[in-house]
Amino acid sequence: MNPAGSQRATSPSERPPRASGITIPGFVLKNALRNGRRALLTVLSVAMSCALLVTLLTLQRELTVPPESEAASFRIIARNKVSLAQPLPARQRTIIEKIPGLRQVSPFTYFGGLFRDETTTSWAQFAVDPARFRELILEGKIIEGSYDAWVKNRNGCMLGADTLRRYGLKVGDKLRFTGTFYPVDLELTIEVVYAGTIDDRNCFFHHALLDQLMDDWGMVGTWYIMADSAAAVDGVIERVNAAFENTSAEVRAETERAFQLGFVSMFGNVKMLFGSISAVVVFTLILVCVSTMSMAIRERFRELAVLKALGFRRHELFAFILAESFGLSMVGAFVGIGGAWLFWSTINLQKLSQGFLVHFEVTPHIMATGGIVAALLGILAAIGPSISVARMSVVSGLKTLD
Amino acid sequence: MALPLKYNYRNVLIRWRTTLFTVVGVAAVVSVVILLKALAKGIESSSARTGEPGNILVVRKGSQAESGSLVTRDQFRTLQFFEEIDRNAGGQPVVSAELVMIINAPRRAAPGSANTLIRGVTPRGLELRPKVSLVEGRWFQPGQREVTVSKKLAGRFEGFELGGIIRAGPDRLRVVGLFEAGGSAFDSEVWMDADEARSIFDRSEMYSSILLRPRDEAAMRSLTNRIAQDKRLGLRAEPETEYYSKQTATAVPFNILAGLLGTAMSVGAVFAAMNTMYANVASRTREIGTLRVLGYSQTAIVMSFLIEGVLLSGLGGLLGCAFSLGIYAYVVARGVTFGTMDFQSFAETVYQFRVTPDLMLLGLIFSLVIGLFGSFLPALRASRLPVISALKSL
Repeated sequence: MNPAGSQRATSPSERPPRASGITIPGFVLKNALRNGRRALLTVLSVAMSCALLVTLLTLQRELTVPPESEAASFRIIARNKVSLAQPLPARQRTIIEKIPGLRQVSPFTYFGGLFRDETTTSWAQFAVDPARFRELILEGKIIEGSYDAWVKNRNGCMLGADTLRRYGLKVGDKLRFTGTFYPVDLELTIEVVYAGTIDDRNCFFHHALLDQLMDDWGMVGTWYIMADSAAAVDGVIERVNAAFENTSAEVRAETERAFQLGFVSMFGNVKMLFGSISAVVVFTLILVCVSTMSMAIRERFRELAVLKALGFRRHELFAFILAESFGLSMVGAFVGIGGAWLFWSTINLQKLSQGFLVHFEVTPHIMATGGIVAALLGILAAIGPSISVARMSVVSGLKTLD
Repeated sequence: MALPLKYNYRNVLIRWRTTLFTVVGVAAVVSVVILLKALAKGIESSSARTGEPGNILVVRKGSQAESGSLVTRDQFRTLQFFEEIDRNAGGQPVVSAELVMIINAPRRAAPGSANTLIRGVTPRGLELRPKVSLVEGRWFQPGQREVTVSKKLAGRFEGFELGGIIRAGPDRLRVVGLFEAGGSAFDSEVWMDADEARSIFDRSEMYSSILLRPRDEAAMRSLTNRIAQDKRLGLRAEPETEYYSKQTATAVPFNILAGLLGTAMSVGAVFAAMNTMYANVASRTREIGTLRVLGYSQTAIVMSFLIEGVLLSGLGGLLGCAFSLGIYAYVVARGVTFGTMDFQSFAETVYQFRVTPDLMLLGLIFSLVIGLFGSFLPALRASRLPVISALKSL
């Protein structure tokens, strides 16, 4: 009789367990590992699914929850009510500047040029008023060059550290952009490099330069506004909106956060898409675990019958099965979630995705979600086999040959 | 001599419980791949269905999308009288200077708003797009603040229904008709009179693009070259169909996701299939020994288990295909449309999701690969069992 079937994977040198050394945890552990290959395959498939689940949740978070920065709660973006693509008249500035509760305002125009010979826009260029802009990005730190030099140089620009590194650029280098939304091209000199914001990829340049190239077109893309305090934000938004009501260019002002979330909502049903894919992954995971556990239990039906005959109770047998299934799925979860975390925090995703995915942070919350799913799974997988073990009569169990 | 197939399918059936788990697992993988690919396919086919073969679209050099292109009135005036352009029955050149703008509109089903493309077209523009047909109401009248909306959009945004009001800043546009565009990119657009659009959006001197029809193929070539060589004009001409066939960037993320998920889930499914097959081999040890004694070769045993694995996962593949088809049938029956933001125009692209035969074939191939990889090692193991001890095992 060979209780482990023909699949004895243990080496012959392994000593038989001492009778006195068998404890309940030891018993469970021995059972879980006695078919090493199966244990390994189970752990690996659980790990793979957990890694996938964590990755999906992280991707969903990346696409639907824009990173928050403290300064953003003071900031307001005002765009044309028609849509973001519709510009606003530059003359609105004098009216906005007089609004009480406002600390600073700068034009903020998305240029959307193509860098060098690239065919897609993977990082943004904005035309701003450098003299005013300083106060608007409080969280940004100057890491190279001098801000004042940029203010003085109309053809200069401020570049994010991420982009600087990505292309191996340095202060003084020239950047060439082909306009897509605007029928003009830019040639900018890097004067200053910033870092420490939520998006260290952007390039900022003088709005005056854009105006000059566009023959003083008298328009701006959006207004970037900073309120005096967090408390003043709502009032400023209200006043900006009211100031241009029933004019030819009505304005929609909202907090930077609301603006970002609005942008995200335009992706469409990303959340539902990822939700349903995650559900399928979890479902597959359950199938794998349940089928493995029932295989493992069926293989030792006879042994469990022996245990029953020896006087072990149903709940004790259930505890054995549960401990084994729970243990295997938790090891799988640990390997999978830990692996995913290690993987995503090691590789330079920003470079790989050409700047599309910036943070891709596997948060503790996401890891915990993965862990809880795996734990529930381990419990769920133990239920089916436990029921069949509980139902089996000792005699028929002892007769089982399989 | 090979083992009869019957042996395999009977085995698959007799262990129906483990079989079922593996089959459903593979089916889940196949469904995810097919459904994600179906989303990408929908976007691609909407691009592929747009444009008339004889038409040429002119945009500004360097602009990636029509909505980001600028053509001045002067440029249009020069271009308008090129003799390569065809003339209609009324003797007018078949050329339409159009304005493509974006308006932000509240969604109907979900909170929040999204951008939609609004196109100012001329009567010639309608002639140039015979596939776009009115299904309800009437076309907009020139000089009126009226729009005709794609029927697909009407269901997605508030105020886009027949008789509704679309707001563009302080201006109000009345919806007087609904059109259908045969699953093309125009199904994501709102159409209105070009001159009226220019006045509403303050673009008195600007258009976005020019659509025209050359007399014949020779004229098409000469016109394209002429525009390309005229450096001062700064425009780019290409066949309308070609322009739209390139507008598939929105499909890329879905394709990438399908590939990544397909691979990762397949690896998981391979582990699970291996588990099942190893268990199959283990529980049939004596049987295998018997087969060997009867004279079946090691190759026959390997083949037999490989076939069994492929059969198992192939069943899963078929189930996955059936499931995807079911979803597809549901989506078609309910008229569900999907929308994603196009990163080039920043406007929502509305498309239908399409499960095509080649996608199902892809799903089946996925399932067969899972079966082969999942059963290879167990099959090898089965063939290498020592005959005598296998016979002795219980």
